[in-house]
Amino acid sequence: MQIDERRLPVSTMDDEQLGEFMDENGVGLSVDEARKIAGFLGRDPTFTEMHIFNVEWSEHCSYKSSGAVLKKYLHTTGPNVMLGPEEDAGIVFFTEFEGKRYGIVIAHESHNHPSQVLPREGAATGIGGIVRDVDCMGARVIATADPLRFGNPQGENAERTKWIVDGVVEGIWQYGNALGVPNLAGDVYFSDTFDDNCVVNVVALGIVAEEDIIHSAAPPQAADEPHVMILVGKPTDDSGFGGSAFASKILDEEEQAEDRGAVQVDDPFLKNVLLMRKANEAVRDAAKEQGIVIGVKDIGGGGLACGSSELPQAGGFGVEIDLEAVHVALPEMLPETICCAETQERYLLVVPEGFADTVLRIYNEDWDLPNIYEGARASIIGRITTEKNYRLKYQGKIVAECPIDEVTAGISYDRAAEPYEFAGGEPEFDMPDIEAALLEVLADCNGCSRAYIFRAYDSEVQGHAVIRPGEAGAGVMVPLDDCDAAMALAVDGNPFYSDISPYWGGVNAVAEAMRNVAAVGAVPQAMTDCLNFGNPEKPQAFWEFDESVRGLSDAAKNIWLKGYEDTPVPIISGNVSFYNESATGSSVSPSPIIACIGTMPDYSVAVTMQLKAAGDKLYMIGPRKDELGGSGYYRALGHGPGPNVPIVDFELHRNMIYAITDAIQAGHIAACTDISDGGLLVAVSEMMLGSYAKGQLGVSMDLSDVETALRLDKWLFSESGGFVMEVKAGHEDAVAEIMAEYGVELTCLGEVTEESKLAINADDLQAELALDDIRHAWADSLAEILS
Amino acid sequence: MGGETPRVALIQFPGSNCEWETKRAAEAAGIACDVFRWNRPAAALSEYDGYIIGGGFSYQDRVRSGVIAAKEPIVKTVFDEVTEHGKPLVGICNGAQVMVESGLVPGLKVGRVQMALAPNAPDPSGRIAQFCCRWVYLKLACEPSRCVFTGKYQPREVIPIPIAHAEGRFTTKDPEVIEALRENDQIVFQYCDADGKIDESREVCPNGGMANMAGICNPEGNAMAIMPHPERASFLRQIPYETAGKWGENKLAAHGDVAAQNAPGPGLAVFISMLEALKARVPV
Repeated sequence: MQIDERRLPVSTMDDEQLGEFMDENGVGLSVDEARKIAGFLGRDPTFTEMHIFNVEWSEHCSYKSSGAVLKKYLHTTGPNVMLGPEEDAGIVFFTEFEGKRYGIVIAHESHNHPSQVLPREGAATGIGGIVRDVDCMGARVIATADPLRFGNPQGENAERTKWIVDGVVEGIWQYGNALGVPNLAGDVYFSDTFDDNCVVNVVALGIVAEEDIIHSAAPPQAADEPHVMILVGKPTDDSGFGGSAFASKILDEEEQAEDRGAVQVDDPFLKNVLLMRKANEAVRDAAKEQGIVIGVKDIGGGGLACGSSELPQAGGFGVEIDLEAVHVALPEMLPETICCAETQERYLLVVPEGFADTVLRIYNEDWDLPNIYEGARASIIGRITTEKNYRLKYQGKIVAECPIDEVTAGISYDRAAEPYEFAGGEPEFDMPDIEAALLEVLADCNGCSRAYIFRAYDSEVQGHAVIRPGEAGAGVMVPLDDCDAAMALAVDGNPFYSDISPYWGGVNAVAEAMRNVAAVGAVPQAMTDCLNFGNPEKPQAFWEFDESVRGLSDAAKNIWLKGYEDTPVPIISGNVSFYNESATGSSVSPSPIIACIGTMPDYSVAVTMQLKAAGDKLYMIGPRKDELGGSGYYRALGHGPGPNVPIVDFELHRNMIYAITDAIQAGHIAACTDISDGGLLVAVSEMMLGSYAKGQLGVSMDLSDVETALRLDKWLFSESGGFVMEVKAGHEDAVAEIMAEYGVELTCLGEVTEESKLAINADDLQAELALDDIRHAWADSLAEILS
Repeated sequence: MGGETPRVALIQFPGSNCEWETKRAAEAAGIACDVFRWNRPAAALSEYDGYIIGGGFSYQDRVRSGVIAAKEPIVKTVFDEVTEHGKPLVGICNGAQVMVESGLVPGLKVGRVQMALAPNAPDPSGRIAQFCCRWVYLKLACEPSRCVFTGKYQPREVIPIPIAHAEGRFTTKDPEVIEALRENDQIVFQYCDADGKIDESREVCPNGGMANMAGICNPEGNAMAIMPHPERASFLRQIPYETAGKWGENKLAAHGDVAAQNAPGPGLAVFISMLEALKARVPV
């Protein structure tokens, strides 16, 4: 069979011509990269090959700039890791139940570029992609979480920012709610640095028994028995063609109209039939019943080219695919489009030939895909080969033929890093009126309640919720029916700290995510990182990346996994998003975003942040320090960020997390929250209000015994990491004992009162605020700002 | 099907997404429950003692929520079993939308669509109407014996329960329909505050539905359409700590007591009432 003569003329063009040629054809490969491809092929690449390597060697698919840094710092293994970051999602041990070992599956991705140009579709396909990653491991998808970073809704680009916020929130609810996956956690920051590039991350969780894990690899049985490749789902169209390449470039305002074509089109309805304990699970059940091993991979970034090469390659095989067998939505499609379009709602399976009819029947008849969505179905598109070759045929020609290891090996660059110093000084100002200052901090777009956003997300579907978004810093659920073990999830990453120090921004993202999980009573077990940065070809931006990863890695390594000395909390999955930069050169704040999973054996002791009973004592752990750099207090008062970003004392954090989880799991604690954004006073305010802002109990703080060199306002708003807890009456000594055991100093703040107000009594300050004023500032602000 | 345990079919459409927690609640109440896929032969449905149509986005909410599913052959079969043989049917959320669109409720003229579950009304503050997921309170508005699904509730009982919908506003352009519903005692549940007080504020009535309606039944009382989700309030574990009233106190008292938290929540009585009615039912 002939090789397609439509070629990238590497051999006949000079560098300039070649660059122009690729530019005209929408190919982002460098001239050197093109010559390298022609080198190992021994001929000019076909158009199809050119487009395949364009996506395979994109930053998005190949981690070409980030790979070396991730390898240098991140610790991805551990005693509780069932699967590290080598496949579509990581898996951490959850619990044993009825003789089986269950794991939590977690994946974490960004969908930043698409969400900036088409917010609704971008956010929706973000969820669509991540749930496939979890599902294809053989898991049931049980939750999502959405860390979001938007531009300033009160700044220069307020109108566009609000349009993006509305669209992203709409995309998340329309996709996630319709699919039937509860939203368990999330966070939202607003800052000018995200005006031109929003950051839309999405986390998905699943649950799977160890024996049911499915790998993204052609099974070893394919060496002895014929295996076929089956493509399932939506008919391939040209949507998302170039999507991965698009995600790997700088966003140019003027090109946004054409970039919209690179955004995929979502379909939660078809996905619901495939994924939500319906068709895919029926295939898995049938395979299990017959003792058949299958390989499954979702098709996401990079389209069919990526999935169809990685699946056989991971098993040590090759593949021969007939692109005419791919079910398509459009007539006369070019082979490179069929290969590289990122049409949503598709999967690839590798199964024994004898099992293929069963698979086709389950999808095409039992679950009736062709009638659910026009043109959707399962089709056999190729066969697994033992020669390690990647061959695509189309209309009587070979359109791609290449060693399969070359297709998936990717490419790697050592990028230059150039450090810089944060320039701002510590703001100096007289102590303001504390009552007014607190109301300012609570009403700030970054200090107020997020209920306006998360009430649009279904947190109840599947019926497993124990603690929902807003009730605490982490969501809690019991994902297995009749099993009392609970899982907690928190997402964090404060961009204002990263603006000052990318290293401490990374450290704090980890520390805060762990604190949030611990504050409900769960022990941090594993994390994912989604790393959102500017242009890696710029040395300062690359330094930000390197520093952030070093920071989060140091935190993970030094806040040890509870019960295992000197053992990091593993990072089991993640994603890198570069080029979050506008054409004018402004890039997003370094945004390492961490999702942390915690577990606890008995959900019934988990605590929310809302106060429970008048008369209970309120305590704090974690000393207040002069660490208001990037604080909500400075921002709300209009001061510069200041250089004193919170410095995480690893040993103290370790001990605080161990102590607080011991105290909660022993049932001594009625309510708890971590101290972070806005400091102690914001933490106490949120404890009074609760997620519905309906709380009536007040707090009387008596600080006359507190010894500190800090000015009182700084003490009250410092963002040094810590916890506030309401101890159940009669349990004070037991809590003191636990804290002493870990060497954690306990500070009594006062007590919970019947009176609906916050009273502060210190040596040189008497302050009092009605709870209704606090309520109004915190609960109503976001709706006012965004409408 | 006979036997001692009544068996119900839970209808699964493409786009359904509450099958498993609804099945679990029904089973916790003592009902045997099969998930019944939309393209299975409809005739097999007649074997069941009762029916549940659960939540989700059947057929992607195309045209209007519930309207496509309402035209499915299996819904016709369910319709006949309910209207001709008096078998019980509860439709929850999207299921309620399917029932309204098929004319099962309010059922004043059987088969005629007399009401709609319209998009949630905009908030008075101007917030755009969209999907809303939150906990609300319901008051039993009818006599407990009026409806197959309320026999186990106390008269005027107030319960916490979650809603999760974008199109849940019971509405009609015909004021006589509302009059007839009141007269026939067909309004089963109304949105209220934690003390059982009914007002039209969005705080209390989250979608702006007429007469604060959250659930209504047909004149015979064997078919109920309810927008909030009783299956998501079927175990005390599911009730938020922020809940006011008796159920909130129960929840707080159960902190650290896993057996107490695994015990029934306020929504389970819908399914227990159904079970009692199924056991007592004489086949027609």
